[in-house]
Formats: sequence, structure tokens, C-alpha cells
Amino acid sequence: MTTALRVEDLSAGIDGNQILKELDIEVPFGEIHAVMGPNGSGKSTLCHVLTGKSGYKVNGSAELAGQDLLSLDVDERSRLGLMQSFQYPTEVPGVRLREFLLESADERGIDHQVAAERIEQEAERFGMERFLDRSLNDDLSGGEKKKSEIFQIVVLQPKMALLDEVDSGLDIDAVRTVAEAVEEMRSPDMGILMITHYSRILNYLDVDRIHVMIDGQIVDSGGSELADELEEGGYAALRERLGIEPEPEGGPMRKPSDFFTETPFDI
Amino acid sequence: MLTRVTSSVPSWRKEQMEAAFQTFESLDEPTGAEEDWRYVDFDLPFAELEAVTEPGTALAGGKFFDSLDTKAGHVRIVDGAVTEAEAEKVSLTRLADLGDEPEAWSRVPVDHNKLAAAHAAFSNDGITVEVGAGEVMSSPVVIEVQGVTPNAATFPHIGVRVGENAEAQVLVVYRSAADARLLMVPEVDLRVESGGRLRYLAVQSLDTAATNVVHQRMTLGRDATGRLGEVGLGADLGRLDLGVYLEGNGSSSNTVGLYFGEGSQTLDYRVVINHIGRNTTSDVFLKGAVEDDAQSVFTGLLRIEKEAEKTSTFETNRNLVLSENAKAHSVPNLEILCNDVICGHASSVGPLEKEHLYYLQSRGLPRQRAERLLIRGFFQEVIDRLPIQGIEDPVSQEVFRRFVTAQEEGRVA
Repeated sequence: MTTALRVEDLSAGIDGNQILKELDIEVPFGEIHAVMGPNGSGKSTLCHVLTGKSGYKVNGSAELAGQDLLSLDVDERSRLGLMQSFQYPTEVPGVRLREFLLESADERGIDHQVAAERIEQEAERFGMERFLDRSLNDDLSGGEKKKSEIFQIVVLQPKMALLDEVDSGLDIDAVRTVAEAVEEMRSPDMGILMITHYSRILNYLDVDRIHVMIDGQIVDSGGSELADELEEGGYAALRERLGIEPEPEGGPMRKPSDFFTETPFDI
Repeated sequence: MLTRVTSSVPSWRKEQMEAAFQTFESLDEPTGAEEDWRYVDFDLPFAELEAVTEPGTALAGGKFFDSLDTKAGHVRIVDGAVTEAEAEKVSLTRLADLGDEPEAWSRVPVDHNKLAAAHAAFSNDGITVEVGAGEVMSSPVVIEVQGVTPNAATFPHIGVRVGENAEAQVLVVYRSAADARLLMVPEVDLRVESGGRLRYLAVQSLDTAATNVVHQRMTLGRDATGRLGEVGLGADLGRLDLGVYLEGNGSSSNTVGLYFGEGSQTLDYRVVINHIGRNTTSDVFLKGAVEDDAQSVFTGLLRIEKEAEKTSTFETNRNLVLSENAKAHSVPNLEILCNDVICGHASSVGPLEKEHLYYLQSRGLPRQRAERLLIRGFFQEVIDRLPIQGIEDPVSQEVFRRFVTAQEEGRVA
């Protein structure tokens, strides 16, 4: 069985700041993996670099179902089968969700009729009907935006889904709904990588593997016991077990770019 | 050289024209140095233009006119002269048949500028659309305003009177003959009585050899509502000088517009919203794009009089600059003489949003297709709000065609 996503020795920096440091990660088809890590560890950067956001200096390799990603433009990566759900999806005035999905489906070679029906069907399942003919993400609550992102992935059926903080800013019921939607996305034709701050969403979701990211590296990987360990002792206890230097006094050394990780201008 | 043609005008109007001619003679043509004409180059000297004694041959239908299935009436004004006028439920009166001077004919001061004075001095025909009290129109009266004779200066005059609690719809389509260098200076005077509702849409689609300077005024009575739509596509210089007067307590106005300039076009919008009565509301929402060497101008003044308590007003102007040499000027302004008001403005000038492009591309759309979707979306917000239904498709298609052609020819960055 081929691997949906294979990342090797991936380093990335922006404005002279090294954020990802020779990172390795692998997600097989049919599996859901989670990347957990403290603020500023580079989780969102990993998503951006894989999706193809400009501005990063990137080294190493990333492959989607055996094909090189890093040499491709952002739209080419998407058509190859990579799709990210954004932490803060931008509002696009005047562009309607339905027409956007139809155009996107067309670019992926999905038959118009098939796409139109799938949109209707999934919209009903996700309760997205009333948003279909409204501007993209316009006037949506935080929870509705996350739901819309998952809905788009379900409609377009990528080979690899990157879910960036799909649970942040949601109340407990919304987290459960999103978790269930992600679980339902599980398919032998798709790999899923979830980036998350909190272990909360993992309570509602059967994750195959958890990776812990600190300072731009995956420092440990394991099963649900890893989430339990984090729940109990936090990242500090994990650092101690792994012999990683504790965070300096006053929190981790933060680069200017890290201050944006909780804003819509997330890099 | 322009001469006054007064053979068919009533005597009250003849007197007005004589007086206005003095003012016209005393004023200079705009140079662009005047605050009101900043950024604009008006280079069509009156000395090179002629008056029209016989209107030329009318242009056939056209995409905007033809796309409307139902019309409550049809008026055609060619070279400033009314050549056709028919309507149901609505009364249409030509200037020649306005025997006595009407209470209201124009709100534009004769000395407003040289062009306004020219209209006052030379306009010798026009139509007044009257919708009686309580009358409800379910489709628009369509007024085609055409300029066809080269080197002519024409001065079409349109009046709309909406009676108490009446509901009126009027669509005006401005056009001109291909490659005809000419000057069209229309004046549109809209008046809505108490509780009346007006929906008015103008599509300016002149040939790029023509110059069009429109003075448009709307006066709203108590609890009256005026919805204006402006679509600016044509003319070498297309200028709209719009004044709204919210005189009646509780009146409200809503103005939406879009413009798209290409080649060396200048599209120029000067908007003044005057809040005079109490509890009045207004909103201005204009979006435009410029490519090639085109430029656009928006100056919007929200003026709130001393007595206009509880005014609520907002103006928004968004501009896309799509080529390196294109320019958009956006100058929103407030003049507030009253304390108890809510008002604000928003304005932007720039290229397509990078964030938006990235989002669309991340879903698999190639850059070119993503840009097209964004352009369509940008204008869709206005098209969805146009006050008259039925011409959305041709407007949307024309805007889209301009962008796609420029994209294919590499004229947009």
C-alpha cells in the first residue's frame, strides 16, 4: 500500500527564522494522524509549506502518493490531491460556495452532474444548504467556517486532507460534530493529518497515530497513550522524559512570526 | 459653435434658456484644477461642437434594452430630442407640452459648472414621467438616451415624479453611435413624494469616442424611498454628478453602482448625499475596476444638516486596479453639522487580494481561473443589489468579457 503523505527532512524558514527542522512524518492511506504541539512549534507552518503558501524557504522532500509536491504550485498540489482546511478561512465576497466547488470539481475532472449532486447531498448531511449560494465564508460563525471547510473536503475528495486546528474556537458540541465528520471522512483512498492544540477532539475520534511536534521537529510518535500522557503532564513532562531542554523562563523563545499563529494572518 | 434651438420650447423655458446662456458664456470650461474636477481632463471644447436641429437615425435595441422582457413604457431620446414615448399607467409629458412652468424642473444651480450651465442654456426637449399617487408599477419604463450625430452637443432632460405612496421603476440606457465624437449632457431630476418608492437604474454604455456628463438629482419626501443603481461601462469620459436630498423625515436612499474602465477611459463619480430631514438613512455602495491606462474617480460627500437628527448613513467604495498604469482615486468625505448621527465610510484601492487568490488556488483553481472567479464575485455583490431586475446577465457578461479579454492579451498584471 502506498503512503498518502511522506515528508522527509523537511526544513522551512521565513524571513531568516528557521521554523521546521528536518522534520519527518508519514501518513498511510486510510489512516488519521494527529500532530500535537505547543504554540509556536511550527504546526501551522507545516500545513502552509505543504499546501504551498509563498514566502517560505523550503528544503527536504514531501510526496503525495509517491509524487513530489514541493516543486508544484499551490493549485497543482491541490489538483494532485492535497487539500487543507484552514484555521481561519478567508471571506471571499461575491464568490458563492456552490459555484466555487463546481469550478474546483471541474478542475479535478469530476463530472459536472456528479459534482452538483454530491454538493446537494453532502450539504444536506452537513446542514450547509443555506450557505451554498452565499459568499464564501461570509458572515459565518467560527464553527460554521470549520464545518464549511470539512464539507468542501468531503465534496472534493482529496487523497490527503490537512486539517489545521479544525477544533479551535469551537464549543464542545461543535468539536464533537467536527470530530464525527472527520471520522466519517476516513476512507482507504484518503489520508488525514490533523493539527491540533488540545487533546479534546481526540476523545471523539479514533486516531491511528499521534505525533508530538516541538521546535519544528517531531519529537515523539505513538498511540492514544501519548495523548493521555500530554493530558496529564503537559508538554513540560514530555520534554523532561525526552530530555529536551525546558522552555526558557517566560515561555518559549518566540519569533515575530509566531505571534501571528492565533490571528487571521496566521503564517 | 453652439446655438440655442428654441422653436419647440414653451415660453417659460425660452426665458430660462436666455438667462442661463449668460451664465454659460461667463463660465470657463473645467481645466481639472477645480476641486470638483480634480483628476479629470475635460478636453472637448464647446467651440468644436454643434447643436442638433434634426435628430439622427436611432440605434437599434442593444443588449441591455433587449434583455428586458416586460416594460411599462418606452421612451427614446435621440440627440436630445424625444422621438418615441409610450406607456401604460404612467403619464409621459414632453417639454413642449409643459405649457406652464412646472414647480419642479431642475435642482441643479445654473452656475454649478460650465456643463450644468450648458444644459440649462441649450436643453430644448425632454420627458417627464409621472406616476400618480398610489399607482404601483411592476415593470420599468425604459428610457433609451442616444447620441448619434458626430460633433454634436446634446442635452436630454428626464424628470421622474413619483406620487404619494406610489411605486415607480425607471431604467435609463445611455448609448452613442460607434466612433462618434460627441458630448452628451443629460440631466435627471427624480422627485419622490411622501411614502413613495422609486427604483431607478442607469446604464452608461456610450462608445468610447463620446463624452458623457450626467447631472442627476433625487429629492425624497417624508418616508419616501429611493433606490439608485449606476452601471458605468462606456465613454471616453463618463461622469456622474449625483446629488440626493433626503428632505422628508424618515426618508431613505440606497445607491449601488459598478464601473469598469479600460483603454484610456475616465469614469468619474461625484456623489453628495444631503441629509436634511430627521430619521433619514442612506447607503452608498460603489465598486469599480480599472485596467490598461483607465482611471476612475469617486468622491463621496455625506452631508448632514444641523436639524437632521438620528441620521444613519454609510458609504463604501472599493476599487480594483488591474494594470500598472491604471489609476483609481477614492475620496470619501463627511460633513456633519448635527451631533446625533451614525455615519461612516470605507474605501479601498488595490489589486486582487492575495489571500483570496491563495484560498481559491488551494482548492485547485489555476491562477487565471481564480482571478476570473474573484472578478465575477467582486461585481456580483453589486449586481445582486441592482434596483431593477432583468439586466444582470448582460452587465455581468460585459464586465467579465472585459477582464477575460485583457487577461488573454496580457494587459492585466
